[in-house]
Amino acid sequence: MLGMEAEMLKGHLDAIVLAALEAGPAHGYAIIETIKQRSAGTFDLPEGTVYPALHRLEQAGLLSSAWTTPPNGRRRRVYSITRAGSAALGERRKAWGRFSQAVDTALQGGRA
Amino acid sequence: MSGVIDDYVSALRRELDFDPALARRLASEVEDHLRDAAEADPAWPSADAERRAVERFGLGREIAAQFAVDAVDRQARRTWIALGVTVVVTFVAMRLRVIWLDDDVLSVAPLIDRYAFIAALAVGVIAWFAFRRSLAALAICLGGLAASIGAGIVRADLFANGAPIHVLLSAAGEIVLIGVLSFHVIGLGRRLRRTASLRRPDHRRMAQ
Repeated sequence: MLGMEAEMLKGHLDAIVLAALEAGPAHGYAIIETIKQRSAGTFDLPEGTVYPALHRLEQAGLLSSAWTTPPNGRRRRVYSITRAGSAALGERRKAWGRFSQAVDTALQGGRA
Repeated sequence: MSGVIDDYVSALRRELDFDPALARRLASEVEDHLRDAAEADPAWPSADAERRAVERFGLGREIAAQFAVDAVDRQARRTWIALGVTVVVTFVAMRLRVIWLDDDVLSVAPLIDRYAFIAALAVGVIAWFAFRRSLAALAICLGGLAASIGAGIVRADLFANGAPIHVLLSAAGEIVLIGVLSFHVIGLGRRLRRTASLRRPDHRRMAQ
């Protein structure tokens, strides 16, 4: 990924992580895989970048987490989106919609 | 196992030494992540599979730096809360002692106890605006606050013999609060230093 795109993505990483957990609880590795799949490989940040975001979102009460041990599997910390997280994601989507529309309009010289 | 993942996790844990609980938790989580990633590699089991998993994960120092920035933010909030509580309690304790005790106002300790807090607050507020919210203003304000609390401590020694319990408690409360505030200020300083060292370019180059 180009440097500028990586920087742009960092500013939206919290919302992208929240969106990745909207479908259901997941552990860090699965969250990264979901993000990569949804972006068709465009979002290719270092995988470790997602952990500070997960921790920050949990501290803010937008995510919760718990250790789980699946049968025949490794113990993992699984993250779930909270009600406050869902509300925050809804707000971020609206804000992003307004912002992207404004940027589109600006880039097209007001033709949109 | 080649130990590439183990070495990476150990190094990350050292980078996160500013928060031992976070270091323990993250070490476990990151190890799980890296083992999943390595096992998904076509070359698994091999050192190359582990190395690629570690490379995709990113530099431990940069990840630790992101955690450190968040830790500074949280610690700063806790410090401001502790400072606010200390200021209010010190003011109340100082006023109550003025009411409770029949002081000789010409003595030094009662004089400081009476006026240091108000003087510190006034100087701090003026300096805050004059120096455009600089750290110097905060330092002046904290200095005055410390003088006020110091006076309370000195007086606790003076009136320990026979002073009413509520008077002693007011001084004890200030002493406890300054301890809590000091703990938070020291913690903030430690995290700021760690964040600065993690974000210093020469460290990044060394890690690469």
